[in-house]
Amino acid sequence: MKGLLGSLAAWPLLLAGCVTGKYTHVSVNEPLLPEHMAALSPGTDTLGTCLDRLGAPNRVFEYRVGPDRTAGMALLWVWRDESGWGIEVSGAVKDVSGSVSYDQLNKELPGCVLWFSPELVLEGWRMGRIGELLRGRIRPSPADQG
Amino acid sequence: MKIGGPRLVAAATGYGRARMLKLRSLVFLPVLLAASCVFSRQDVNEPIEIAVVRSFEPGKTTAREVVERLGAPTEVVQLGRRTAYRYDCSTEKSTVLFLLVINFANQDSRSDRVWVFFDEKDVLTHCGTWFGTHRTQYALPWEDVHEKSDNDARDAERAGAVR
Repeated sequence: MKGLLGSLAAWPLLLAGCVTGKYTHVSVNEPLLPEHMAALSPGTDTLGTCLDRLGAPNRVFEYRVGPDRTAGMALLWVWRDESGWGIEVSGAVKDVSGSVSYDQLNKELPGCVLWFSPELVLEGWRMGRIGELLRGRIRPSPADQG
Repeated sequence: MKIGGPRLVAAATGYGRARMLKLRSLVFLPVLLAASCVFSRQDVNEPIEIAVVRSFEPGKTTAREVVERLGAPTEVVQLGRRTAYRYDCSTEKSTVLFLLVINFANQDSRSDRVWVFFDEKDVLTHCGTWFGTHRTQYALPWEDVHEKSDNDARDAERAGAVR
């Protein structure tokens, strides 16, 4: 009986939407599969062959700029396929409303980067979290140098 | 004087349990009655015409011609003396099942991407494409809507999506 009363007592909170559990699945873009990557051959494959096999990347960056302004490039693919449970609590105290949520989806996104020489030959590739893959990528701008 | 026996007590307990189960079922009835679903779709940028992209010829097509046919790119990237233009659009389909105390949500997003690379004379050297917006589906979070058969069926409905 106590359990029943407890369930009834929780209804006002639950009906008001103050406490909700959630199960979420997020899928963004197709992942590059390991077998696709294993087929790549640094030193042999070119920008053209890689684009044919992997399709268009999400981003393209300048890489290894020479004094004569020749440059290589880095291509980035990024995707997301995650699911997880979470809980959201919301309410209002003295005219101040707010909500707190926690879920397991706040992870760094997986991705893959391919680096090409100025001659557009594949130098190498790496899969991992994009935060690690792109660390220190952006060169200083006049605004940064202040 | 003792009224009833072990059998009567057991019967009474069984009746009580059944009643309690019924009451508990009633408590959770609002979950079923108040259930609702939401479907939403979000498109970013105009769709990219595949036939136009396939008509580009490396070594011949110029940056000017690409812009005339596809319009302004989403992004222009300087790559030393070279440049690359990005054209993209995306479709996101979301499904949410509200059961008051617990919600189930699925978000499925795919994009069309075209990167065109030009040399220092603005002549096309490479063109990379990926067409995926037609593969998005409304689904619940435990469904896998991107199995090979799903993708193949949807690719077949969009001419030129896969070379």
